[in-house]
Amino acid sequence: MSLETLSPSSGHQETLPELRTNSFRRALARISHLTDDARIFPTLILLPVMFFFIVWNVIPTLWMIGLSFYRYSLMLGNEQFLGTNNYMSIMTDSQVWEALSRTFIWVGAGVAIQTILGLLLGFLFWGSRDMPGRRLALTLLFTPMVLTPVAVGVFFRLLYEPTFGIVNYLTTTVLGVQVNPLNDRAIAFGAVLLVDTWMWTPFMILITLAALGSVPKAELEAAEIDRIPWLKRLRYIIWPNAKFILMLGILLRTIDSFKTLDLVYLMTNGGPGNTTDLIALLLRRKAFEAFDLGWSSAMAILLLLTAIAFTSIYLYILNLNRRRQEAIV
Amino acid sequence: MTRASGWRRTAYHLLLWLVVLIFFAPVAWIILSAFKTTNQILAIPPLVVFEPTLDNFRQIVADPNAGRFLWNSLWLSIIAVLIALAVSFLAAYAFSRFNLKATNFLMFVLLSMRMVPAVAVVIPLYLMYSALGWRNQPLAMLAFYAMFSIPFSVWILKGFIDGVSRRFDETALVNGGSRWHVLFRVVLPQIGPGLVAAFIFNLIFVWNEFLFNLLLGGRDVRNIPVSFSTDLYSDGGMNWTFVAAMTTVYIIPPMIIIYLFQRYLLVGMTFGTVRGEV
Repeated sequence: MSLETLSPSSGHQETLPELRTNSFRRALARISHLTDDARIFPTLILLPVMFFFIVWNVIPTLWMIGLSFYRYSLMLGNEQFLGTNNYMSIMTDSQVWEALSRTFIWVGAGVAIQTILGLLLGFLFWGSRDMPGRRLALTLLFTPMVLTPVAVGVFFRLLYEPTFGIVNYLTTTVLGVQVNPLNDRAIAFGAVLLVDTWMWTPFMILITLAALGSVPKAELEAAEIDRIPWLKRLRYIIWPNAKFILMLGILLRTIDSFKTLDLVYLMTNGGPGNTTDLIALLLRRKAFEAFDLGWSSAMAILLLLTAIAFTSIYLYILNLNRRRQEAIV
Repeated sequence: MTRASGWRRTAYHLLLWLVVLIFFAPVAWIILSAFKTTNQILAIPPLVVFEPTLDNFRQIVADPNAGRFLWNSLWLSIIAVLIALAVSFLAAYAFSRFNLKATNFLMFVLLSMRMVPAVAVVIPLYLMYSALGWRNQPLAMLAFYAMFSIPFSVWILKGFIDGVSRRFDETALVNGGSRWHVLFRVVLPQIGPGLVAAFIFNLIFVWNEFLFNLLLGGRDVRNIPVSFSTDLYSDGGMNWTFVAAMTTVYIIPPMIIIYLFQRYLLVGMTFGTVRGEV
């Protein structure tokens, strides 16, 4: 009886669950220490990423490399070892060279225009800290680059519509010229490039603002006090600090521009004629309309190598920038 | 910029707003068009002032396909990005803290995956998905999008984990914490902004993705960008009212996101390689 009063059953019920969770936790803690080894742990936490990487990247890429030495068509279904013939036929294919040179013009002209516009507007927006409604303004300004390229392509088809599109209306009333931008061989390339410029100039503005933001304020103020002329400030203060971010931005834009597919595919699909046929569009057509997969694999590998070259340059500049930042800190 | 007198400042701000409005004009025109009837869209000269109608949006709501494609866009992007974040967080921690020999190489490979034209990547995947019967399978599409989001997530999260001092890890370990404890209780809470930025921008990228869905997917997993290229025609011509309304619905979410998360825009658009305030 006294025992029962000393240890009331209700007390047991209160302490027991707590005890159980404690021992559970302790067991869990003990188990969680099993993987503490400095060799086991990193391997363990890299497993998921390695799984994704191997299944969705290594295997398909190896497969593609193998395929690039074969004649392989999904339509005809015949396989035949060709050695490096696919590569040879790419090198001698005038269509490929035309598409490549068109892509270079696309990238060169596009990135140059976007960089220049972006720099000018970036400098313009540099002093916009106390602009009324700045956050909304920047949202509207940066909207084009986060839009779905496909949606942009589709809605510019509406704007470029030759009968009721607003672009044609404006050129007719202001300039007295009727235009049908996406079906006119002379201006289709420019019309599509204009859309690309519209989408990506804001990106270069963003990069310019970031680059200017990386210039130490103290140096700028000192230059202000010393009344150093603008050109000198640009050359000795702004450029040395801003150049890395600018270069990263330009390089990133170059790579993305080189990759362009969705936007042009939806607007002209390479036409009219082949005036807007970029390399990515050509490859898509070869692979998924002609189903010439051996040839396409070889082409894809050449593009892969190009991308690796671009990546190396990008990383090189990135490391330069990192070293500079560490030097400042 | 130096402090200018009142009217010059006003003029400067007006100029900035003018630039902004010029860039926004095409989008504004589409949003405007979404509220027009077919006849109003086809009107010459184009109408700026008109009686708005919500019929186009009613048409979208009533169209079972549109709803399904929107739903696909939504669940694919959110779930795939969450999977990618979990996988990438673990990997980024390993790359950041253990001086693995393969770190530089793997980070390089991940970055180059971002640099390769999508159409070059899709060819082998297309073969694989065709051979294994994975095309038009929701899970296979989801796994692909997770893979698609991993490179960017690893890069951005590694940057943020590098920013957390190793002393935190060491202190926790010395005090008897396991490495899992360090991972989830010490490091994870400190990289919130990185997780948010990675989540937001991967969401936008998957939301915008077109080519892989077109080629690896099928009717069951089709998202809106693909439906733009395949389902917009009615009676031989473009269904412009539907186009305008659908693009409007589709481009509003990214706009809201960059309004809310503007400070992550830079890090998001540069693969996590450039940080800074705008």
